Amino acid sequence: MLTESEILRYSRHLLLEDVGEIGQQKLKNAKVLIIGMGGLGSPAAMYLAAAGVGTLVIADFDQLEVSNLQRQIGYQTADTGSDKVKLMKQRLNSINPEIIVRCINRKMDAEQLSLELMMVNLVLDCTDNMHSRHLINAACVQAKASLIVGAAMRFEGQLIFFDHNQSDAACYHCLFPKSEEQVLNCSNSGVIGPVVGTIGTMQALEAIKYILGLPSGIKNRLKLFDGKTLDWQTFTVTKDPNCSVCGQKK
Amino acid sequence: MNVIVNGNIFEIAPNSRIEGLLKSLDKPLNGSALAVNGEIISRTKWAEYRLCEGDNISLFQAIAGG
Ligand SMILES: [Zn+2]
Repeated sequence: MLTESEILRYSRHLLLEDVGEIGQQKLKNAKVLIIGMGGLGSPAAMYLAAAGVGTLVIADFDQLEVSNLQRQIGYQTADTGSDKVKLMKQRLNSINPEIIVRCINRKMDAEQLSLELMMVNLVLDCTDNMHSRHLINAACVQAKASLIVGAAMRFEGQLIFFDHNQSDAACYHCLFPKSEEQVLNCSNSGVIGPVVGTIGTMQALEAIKYILGLPSGIKNRLKLFDGKTLDWQTFTVTKDPNCSVCGQKK
Repeated sequence: MNVIVNGNIFEIAPNSRIEGLLKSLDKPLNGSALAVNGEIISRTKWAEYRLCEGDNISLFQAIAGG
């Protein structure tokens, strides 16, 4: 049952056939882990908090730097030097005091990650490096946790959903095998704020749809976003039976 | 035969495999993924996968940033 204040707050959801009171209750009951509170994590967390996702677990171990503010729109200049998760928890609770926000203020190893995965319905990978992405992917495959991956750099974005609940789910390693090769991230290549914001916003949209039980357009489908032309390209990813992370032959 | 690589027509020997195409492209493959006609071909299949005339190939890099 929604309270009177919730009915008022979520009235624009309640008007939607795809949400309604039942959907809003699903959002309220949902627990989502968002890893990385940067340019992807800021809008993702803020939209999910506003939408009334009942429990948000936010993870990051960085302090806010002035160079973050060009794209990480959840933060204020006066807050530089403070822990991002603490700042974001305040921000999320001021957007929506009806929800619970829990902070993880340290780098998670595989063991802690797998414990955290047991307590949530869904994971958003909003990290900024390949090492974390592969660590999160492997833990989600093992825990059969649903994972929405976003990434952005320069004017480009990437978005994909791996529903590890399902046996046909591909994984991040099927798509981008782990390697020691140098890959591009925001600090070595730069990024335009609205591009990373677009991808983080899409992660929130897909999270809401997943919680509501609506079909996803990015399940095993990689979306590439071109911020210059505003074109989206779609590629199908099939589970690689030889994948060392999710395949049978691991 | 001709294939399309990231929008550009590219001539390769008939029956070429993905690995052969990549060698002749001489491009860095740092954390790259490759799709043929909209389907990602996993790296473990690059050595055996044969390309066909007119195949539309997309080659792009993983992005880690966020
Ligand atoms: Zn895999």
